[in-house]
Amino acid sequence: MGAAVLLVVGMLPAVVVAGRGRVLDRLAGLAMAGVVATLDMLLLSEGYQRSSYVDAGLVLAALSLTGSLVFARLVVRQ
Amino acid sequence: MTVLEIVLLVLGIAGVALSCLGLLTARDAYLRLHYLGPASSLGTPLIIAALVVHEGLSFSAVKLVLIGVLLIGSGAVTVAAFGRATAQRDGLIDTDSPA
Repeated sequence: MGAAVLLVVGMLPAVVVAGRGRVLDRLAGLAMAGVVATLDMLLLSEGYQRSSYVDAGLVLAALSLTGSLVFARLVVRQ
Repeated sequence: MTVLEIVLLVLGIAGVALSCLGLLTARDAYLRLHYLGPASSLGTPLIIAALVVHEGLSFSAVKLVLIGVLLIGSGAVTVAAFGRATAQRDGLIDTDSPA
């Protein structure tokens, strides 16, 4: 239930922000969506008792950070 | 679930949800950056703590702590990088500036 609440109240605003405005506003939404998606994976792994979802969360956390930093770098060079 | 787990989980989810709603209502990029911080430095540790208390001492709990450390660190790094990029795009600091 926590995962569902987080998905609706957390992911929807992040996706809306990521879909409109200036490019750096969108990046803020993307970074927030990464955090929410990772936490959702952890909560879903507890809810469905599937430990493999935690591994997906670990990969997502690492890739989300890397992706955000690469995007921020490329946006400045644009 | 114990009362402690429920309290930690509710507080964590509330922290992340309020940060997301704040992100949606903020007017400009600099204000938006302020809402990225609490989601990773306040909501994340609370949710991770709830899950670790639920799991107990196990390998899975270690993985959860690792993810928590990664998210907390990445939140601070992301806010700093986005703040710098925004300031450079707005011409407030030089593009070649190292800091």
